[in-house]
Amino acid sequence: MKNISFAIVIIAIALAACKSSNNKNVAQNKINDSSAHTSGQVSPISPVNGILHIYLKMKNAFVNDDDKEAAKEGKGMLKALNDFDTSILKDNERKQFQDMAGDMKENAEHIGANAGNIKHQREHFDMLSKDMYDLVKTSAADEKIYVDYCPMYNDNKGATWLSETKEIKNPYLGKEMDTCGSIKEVLK
Amino acid sequence: MSLIKKIGLIALIVIIAIQFVRPASNKSRHILPSDISKVYNVPASVQSLLKNACYDCHSNNTNYPWYSNIEPFGWWLASHIRRGKEELNFSEFAGYSAYRQRSKLFSVGRSIEDGTMPVPSYSLIHRDSRLTKEQKGLIIGWADKIKDSLNNANK
Repeated sequence: MKNISFAIVIIAIALAACKSSNNKNVAQNKINDSSAHTSGQVSPISPVNGILHIYLKMKNAFVNDDDKEAAKEGKGMLKALNDFDTSILKDNERKQFQDMAGDMKENAEHIGANAGNIKHQREHFDMLSKDMYDLVKTSAADEKIYVDYCPMYNDNKGATWLSETKEIKNPYLGKEMDTCGSIKEVLK
Repeated sequence: MSLIKKIGLIALIVIIAIQFVRPASNKSRHILPSDISKVYNVPASVQSLLKNACYDCHSNNTNYPWYSNIEPFGWWLASHIRRGKEELNFSEFAGYSAYRQRSKLFSVGRSIEDGTMPVPSYSLIHRDSRLTKEQKGLIIGWADKIKDSLNNANK
């Protein structure tokens, strides 16, 4: 009798392995980042600023070589993007925003899931920075944003990032060479 | 019958039973209009490398190895292919937004550079997928070139 129930368990496990899990979203709902909840204000720019602020916190985590903090912000950004209310956008802006947000979500997800592999996180941060630049460029930020460029990162292929400070603090090379780079553009 | 024999018999029955639960195969006869080769220039040299090293998990056309017919290996492969296509599918590349295309091409270059792709356990079995330094350079150069052209188009 024991053996039969044992066999049933094995078959059940085998069948369960065929199904894909649908529980991914549950864990994400638990993350609560206050900066993602600045919506409900009159200006349609504010939610973009919420995302920008998470980005800047993530950037500063990379400056400090802090992979865990960066992962936390990655998860926060994924949630902020998922919660973004696109009904505040004009019809012609919505499609472009969704395209940008779709790519940002993927990059944020990789950063969120790769604590312990800061090299991989930084590769996605490079891409996220490009999207973030496009997003801030199209929607304008509330504050002065510096676009910085480091020519050395990624085998001298170079990379850009956004910063709230005039002072250069490199998120790609971290503490190793944190002053490498220059201001390329200023967004207002 | 001893306990060991009984367990062995049951294991055999389970192994036979699971052979009937087959995942759908990832085979498409047509090259979709959304295929990367329809929208970007893919030189023949790069195309054949992509086919050997990437397309088994990153396109709608898998070249199945013999052991894929034996479960649970077939299931295991199917889950790899599903996850691979979710991340990047060259057969549906043109359907991605310009932002996503840019990110994907960047990731192609970096993951080959880092050696995370092709997945080492896959290359262990599939000798065709092992890339020499020159072959890697060829794919990386191609992907970065298209990525840069997208970068400029966006500005």
